[in-house]
Amino acid sequence: MMPYFKFDYFGFDFSLVVAFIIGIGFGFALERGGFGNARILAAQFYFYNMRVLKVMFTAIVTAMLGLFYFSWIGWLDLSLVYIGDTYILPQIIGGLILGIGFVIGGYCPGTSFVSASAGRTDGIIFILGIIFGVFVFGEMFPLLEEFYNSTNMGRVTLPDFLGLSHGMVVFLVVAMALGAFAAAEWGEKVLSKKSGRGVE
Amino acid sequence: MTSLTGIFSRKELKNEGKVFEPKPYSNPYVVGFGLGLVLLSAFLIMGRGLGASGAVSTVVAVGMEKIAPEHAAKNNFYKEYLGDGTTNPLKDWLLFEVIGVVVGGFISGSLAHRIKRTTEKGPNVSVRTRLIYAFVGGSIMGFGAKLARGCTSGLALTGGSLLSLGGWAFMLSVFGGGYAVAYFIRRQWL
Amino acid sequence: MKEWFLKLSTSKKLAITAALLGVIAMFIGNPSNDNKIYVNAKEMALSTVKNQDKIEVITLADWLIKEKSDFTLVDLRSEKEYSEYNIPTSVNIKIENLLGSDLMRNEKIILYGVDDIASAQAWFVLKSSNYKGVYILKGGMNGWKKEVLFPTLAVNATPEQSSAFEKLKQISLHFGGTPQLASEGQTTTATITVKPNVQSLPKLTVPAGGKAVKKKKEGC
Repeated sequence: MMPYFKFDYFGFDFSLVVAFIIGIGFGFALERGGFGNARILAAQFYFYNMRVLKVMFTAIVTAMLGLFYFSWIGWLDLSLVYIGDTYILPQIIGGLILGIGFVIGGYCPGTSFVSASAGRTDGIIFILGIIFGVFVFGEMFPLLEEFYNSTNMGRVTLPDFLGLSHGMVVFLVVAMALGAFAAAEWGEKVLSKKSGRGVE
Repeated sequence: MTSLTGIFSRKELKNEGKVFEPKPYSNPYVVGFGLGLVLLSAFLIMGRGLGASGAVSTVVAVGMEKIAPEHAAKNNFYKEYLGDGTTNPLKDWLLFEVIGVVVGGFISGSLAHRIKRTTEKGPNVSVRTRLIYAFVGGSIMGFGAKLARGCTSGLALTGGSLLSLGGWAFMLSVFGGGYAVAYFIRRQWL
Repeated sequence: MKEWFLKLSTSKKLAITAALLGVIAMFIGNPSNDNKIYVNAKEMALSTVKNQDKIEVITLADWLIKEKSDFTLVDLRSEKEYSEYNIPTSVNIKIENLLGSDLMRNEKIILYGVDDIASAQAWFVLKSSNYKGVYILKGGMNGWKKEVLFPTLAVNATPEQSSAFEKLKQISLHFGGTPQLASEGQTTTATITVKPNVQSLPKLTVPAGGKAVKKKKEGC
């Protein structure tokens, strides 16, 4: 049965080796996608290159379908896969703040590591920024703690929240992603004709 | 000086007389599929998703403990990343994963000849301005990521594919926040 | 059909596959029945008979003194009881929350309740959900109080018993207990252990709920 780690196929120390290998795959994929380059990431917010949306949603759809079917076949115990609790307000506010930081800084934490390893100075500076931001958050934590722990909804998933079956939500996400891809392709074409700023 | 139209640094490299041209980035859907498989394998092997900002938190917490142990011990946020002292906090899954990310990014970049000491910026800002923006943006992001309990990888990507309500609410807010301020800092990128 | 599919670009192939799987998923509905449990009845019965899954309180006390940390100690009692007194390093998880907790299937889990009843039930819940290393603290909190916190030495103890008691006394004092000599005529344990005086319970060094936090294992 999967997930292997939770069924004691290997111990904690080996899990760190797994972490390193999975990290290599993660970094490799991000770099292939052009996510080591702040201009490509920022372009998402000016609609002239929708790579972020395409890569992210394709990844989500792939992993989501994988989880669904592995669990359906019976190879995976989905209840053992860690899902963080939903703290709806801090997560919405945090998301907005993070989005603002994304446009200003040009990276998100994961991509900044890739960018730094590809030699981008702005990526390295961005990482220093994150460290500083986390430090500020840590120092302010006593003030923020109450809000940070507010609106805890527990382990809620979209199927629970919407009252739909898991499969139905999977279908809706796939449909939404495909719709977004079609719109992105169309939008890029129109914009690149207009401004000559096309990327591919 | 970056050329106005080139998103890739192909032209710059030619000018410097390099032999290898950086290859264009791969098909985003194929990359996304690959990324999805990496994420799926994390779920299947470890029962958990990917992440990035947690590794920074661990490093900051350990740093704080080294500099001001009493101060760190009083803070619940640092405590969460330091643990109860029974294990070395640096033996952290996410930290090892992020080291892998750095290595993986370097491997992919090397294979495509995209490793280059440079600063990514729009044509209308100086390197200095760009680096200040990078630091400010990084700080804002570090703060936001901790408030939301995750970043784009840990919450949007992982939570998104697990259909977590928080993950999806977070993801939409990220795009919302980004688009809301994009106009005001367009000079940096366009 | 096949030829038509092969002629498409990679992106379109991916899109069509995803769409197809999405539609099928809609008809499947829910992929798994979360309430399904797996019971290896024979193995369970055997380990119960052999007493393999029991841990003596003194053994646990010894581990705690040596600061062994390869296990998670779970207190199954109510929040109130937990906040009054609990065995050091324990976490308070109620039986109904066990499966949704952070406990890992591959970690050593030691359960205790007031006595052995709750822990036996919890043991079954965890075992049937494929948790590997589940153990019961023999006697539960009552046993802990009787043997570790308030050990008593009978008046007519033999020298061997007395020297063993000296050792026990050290353990007891380590946990803030009060070892005592039984007075004549008093049945050695009954008054102290069954209805322990709350005031004499060791003060918790950490405020309830604010226990040393385990290192965050998952999530960003």
